[in-house]
This record gives sequence, structure tokens and C-alpha cells, in this order.
Amino acid sequence: MIQLYHVHKRYTNGTDALVDVTLRVREGEFVFLTGPSGAGKSTLLRLLMVMERATDGQILIGGRNIHVLRDASIPFLRRNIGMVFQDFRLIPRRTVYENVAIALEIMGLGPKEIERRVTQLLDGLRMMHRAQAFPGDLSAGEQQRVAIARALVNEPAILLADEPTGNLDPELGHDILQLLIDVGRRGTTVLVATHDHGLVERYGMRTLVLGRGQLLEDRPRQLGARITAETGLNPLAVALTESRQHAPDAPVELDIPDEVVP
Amino acid sequence: MKHGARPDYVLRQAWLLLRGSPWLAGVSALTIALALTLVGLFASVMFNAGHLMHELGQSLTLSVYLHDTASAEEVTAVRQKLEAHAGIKKVRALTREQDRDRNKRLLSPELLQGLDEASIPGQPVLEVDIDAELASRGDVDALVKWTGALRGVQSVEDVEFGAEKLRLLFAMVEIARTIGIVLSGVLLASAMFFVFSTVRLAVFSRRDEIEIQTLVGATPGFVRLPFLVEGALQGLAGAAIAATLLGLLHLELRGLVRDVYMLNVSWSLLPPGMIAWLVIGGPAVGLAASALSVGRYLKV
Ligand SMILES: Nc1ncnc2c1ncn2[C@@H]1O[C@H](COP(=O)(O)OP(=O)(O)OP(=O)(O)O)[C@@H](O)[C@H]1O
Ligand SMILES: [Mg+2]
Repeated sequence: MIQLYHVHKRYTNGTDALVDVTLRVREGEFVFLTGPSGAGKSTLLRLLMVMERATDGQILIGGRNIHVLRDASIPFLRRNIGMVFQDFRLIPRRTVYENVAIALEIMGLGPKEIERRVTQLLDGLRMMHRAQAFPGDLSAGEQQRVAIARALVNEPAILLADEPTGNLDPELGHDILQLLIDVGRRGTTVLVATHDHGLVERYGMRTLVLGRGQLLEDRPRQLGARITAETGLNPLAVALTESRQHAPDAPVELDIPDEVVP
Repeated sequence: MKHGARPDYVLRQAWLLLRGSPWLAGVSALTIALALTLVGLFASVMFNAGHLMHELGQSLTLSVYLHDTASAEEVTAVRQKLEAHAGIKKVRALTREQDRDRNKRLLSPELLQGLDEASIPGQPVLEVDIDAELASRGDVDALVKWTGALRGVQSVEDVEFGAEKLRLLFAMVEIARTIGIVLSGVLLASAMFFVFSTVRLAVFSRRDEIEIQTLVGATPGFVRLPFLVEGALQGLAGAAIAATLLGLLHLELRGLVRDVYMLNVSWSLLPPGMIAWLVIGGPAVGLAASALSVGRYLKV
């Protein structure tokens, strides 16, 4: 699903944020991306979103070489990738419902279809009762849930989360991670960047360790990793199962037009 | 522009953007209205002036006064000379008595009573009708020069050219046209500046939203469209106000023309063609200004 070959990223100020990174994440895999501050975790996620272009090397997503992706195709790539930002990036003037709906509006869906999907997802996240609230009136955990809902609402093949637990207390952090692992179990490829080692240890999922832009270690998933025992009971899992058009194991086709008329 | 946006979505967003800065949007619409009203006014004044000049052109005449002593042959010679010239439609010869009769009619009866018949001026004259085409083509100058040369002919005493006044009118209309164009241009420029500012403000106030839309996969066209429509809507509002103003002005002036000048002429400050121009022109101005603003401030 995601392949990096000798990827190098040097920012215009000369900082080498990624150095010769080669890695591969399979479809449906759940991967932690760790390393100290400044290691290049966010940079890697930004490259996948094409918020930045790699200086060198190749990046393939769903078989598409995004290193040579035309600007006009970037929006269509992004519709396949949900991203959760550390600072949530919710729009304060818009309600919870509207914040989530944005990801569907931009695809040109009608109000009925948008309502159906947003309601279903907010239900699954136990956020429906807050649908008409504004982000400023929510707790940090609730805001993070809305941010995740926005990333998931158009059923992307890939979910990227940058420090999703960074602003949360440990208990809430655990909740959110559990949620992301559930998403992964539904067939979505999930990449979670975090410098919280304790958290990573706890779940025993595959972990990529970055340091000064280099890939230092690729720890495979441990046998008996703590995969949620709640599957089937978790309302989110149910919501996602119902809304997902493809079965968890079916190959995920990226929906990026070959030629985009600007 | 490929954008995939639904019209209802775009309109709603554009409306929300307008509501974000209602005062500035109002000023923009009013300035556009003012500019369009002025353009409309000048357009119809120019149109009516054109009419007027055409009509005046119909009665464009030239009077060639001959000496009392001019013989019949000499009169015929001058007459033939005139008739041979291009742009001259008709030549009528008046004897001294006919000219005196004509002049008598111009004087008031009281004045005539104490007047000796012989003291009323009268002179043999050739009345020349000039082709109106010539006047509207602005070729009058050449004719004036040519007829001026007639003064050198022995039997000709003087040449009076009725078109002098017409030329003045032409000049005045020309000046009015220039002022109108400049003034309308200035107003249109300020209108565009206001729309430009309104849209810039809207873009700045939506920075976060624009960024998020881009990150979840909105095409640049999708992001830009509501801002462009916001500008076009201001133009449309301006056009509607301008149409109302012109309509009211028309009613007001029509009453004036009918009651004060007792004229029953058919004219309109707001003909259907003008409405069409406003409906196209207003939004076009707004769209152009917002496109400039979006191009400058909305980087996606
Ligand atoms: N836009 C930028 N321009 C220049 N340098 C940058 C930019 N963004 C990041 N960097 C630098 O690149 C390096 C990697 O940054 P990055 O944000 O990817 O690290 P990170 O692993 O996400 O760190 P953190 O855990 O603090 O979020 C750092 O040295 C950082 O200063
Ligand atoms: Mg980071």
C-alpha cells in the first residue's frame, strides 16, 4: 500500500528531515512511527499527503508513484488518505457536524447523503449528542474524536495520525488509540506518529523508529499483540463495518483519476 | 474549472461569505450600482444625442448671399457650381423679395407696424441643403472650407454656414462623452476595488477552512468558486440597484418632459437592452474583481 524507496527530504533551509528512508507498509497494516522530537515523523506523513514533495527517492501509494503526481491529481489522492493532526485543526466557526461534513462536501455529495454518513459516524464515535456543538466547547478528547471522524468520514484507504494522543491525558489517549486500532481492523491502513514510547510498547504493533531523519529500526508486530477484545461491541467498529463498501480483506483501489483536467 | 461542487452548496457558501462582511459588501454593491447607473445614463444620453444630431443633420443648411447687382447668369453659375459639389442635396434660389418676406415673418407684428417695407433687409440668396450623411460622417469641415472659398466669387457677398452651431454641439457631445467615460471608469475602478477588498477579507477570514478543505481533497476550483460567486453576487446586487435607480429616474424625467416641455416623445432610460447589459455587466465586474482578489490572496 505504502512504499518508500531511498526517500530524502531536505527543507529549503537546508535541514535534512529524512535521509535515505526505505520502508513498506502493507494494506490494512497498523504501524507506529516513533522517534524523538525532530526525527522526521511529521515530515514523513506530510510527504504521503503531498503537503511536501520529496527531494529524492520514490514514494508509491497504492501502486501510484506520487513523486511524479501532477498537482491537479493531489486532491484525488488526498481523498484516499484521512489525516488526523496533533492540533486537531477543527474550524471554530463550524459545528461538529459541519466540521465532519467538510470532507464529504468537497466531493460534491448532496446534503442527504452527507447527513446519512456523518450521523452514522458520529453515532459510532458516541459524539452524536454533540453534533451541534462548536469545537471550542468540547473537551480535548472530544475534539480529537471529531478530527478522527473528519478523517474517516469519506472512508479513506489510509489513515494518518500525527501525535493523536499528544494533548490527551493517558486514559483518553488509550481510548483514542483503541479507536484507531479498531479502524485498522476494518481494513484501513493506519500510520500513527508518536514520540510516546510507553504507548507504543503497550500495544506491541509494528513500529518504525526514526532518528535524525533515518530509519533506525523496524520492529515487527509482536505475537499476542494487544488487539482489542471489544471488536463487535465497539459501536465505531459496527458503524464502519456497515458503511464500508469493501470487505476488510478486499484489495483497496485508490480512486485517483489518471488524467485530471485542470 | 473542474470542481465537482454543487450549485446549491456554492451559493450557500457565497451567501455566508457575504454575510461575513455585510457593510463592505453593501458598499461594494452600491458603488457598482452607482457606476452602472452612470454608465447607463451616459449610454442613453449619448444615444439620444446621436438621435438629435441626426435630426439636426437633416436640416443642415448653407446660405450663399449674393450681391444685389448679380445678374441671372451669375446666379445660375454659382448655383451650378454648388449643385456639382458632392454632399450638396438641394439648392433653392430666393429673390430679394422672397428673402424679405421670409425675414418679415421672423419679426413681431408690433415691430413691423412702424417699419418701412424697404428697410426690412432682403437680398438674393441661394439656400443650400447639405446631405445629412456628410454631417454625421464629420466631413463638414471640408465643406466649410470649400464654401468659404465661394466668398472669392465676384457675385457672392457672404456665405453663412448653419453647421457652425452643429459643430459646437458635436464638440460638446464629444467632451461629455470623454467626461462620462472617465467618470464611469473611475467609479468602476473603485467598485472593483471594494469587491476586491470584500473578497480578500473573506479569504483571510477563511484561511483555516481553506487549508482544511485542501487537505481533505478539495480541488482548487472547489475552494475558489464560493469566493468568485461572492464577487459576482455583489455585482448582481449592484446591477439590480442600478436598474431600479434608472427606472425611477426615467419615471421622474418622463413626467418632467411631458408636463413641462409638453413633449410626447417615446424614450427610455431603461430599455430592455440596457437591462440585459446590466444583468451581464454587473456580475461580470464583480467576477473580474473577485477573480483578481482570489488569484492574489487564495493560494491553493
Ligand atoms: N517546514 C520546515 N522547514 C524547515 N525545516 C523543517 C520544517 N518542518 C520541519 N523541519 C525540520 O525537519 C526536522 C524534522 O521535523 P518533523 O516535524 O518532521 O519532526 P517530528 O519527528 O515530527 O518531530 P516532533 O515529534 O517534534 O513533532 C526537524 O529538524 C525540523 O526542525
Ligand atoms: Mg511532528
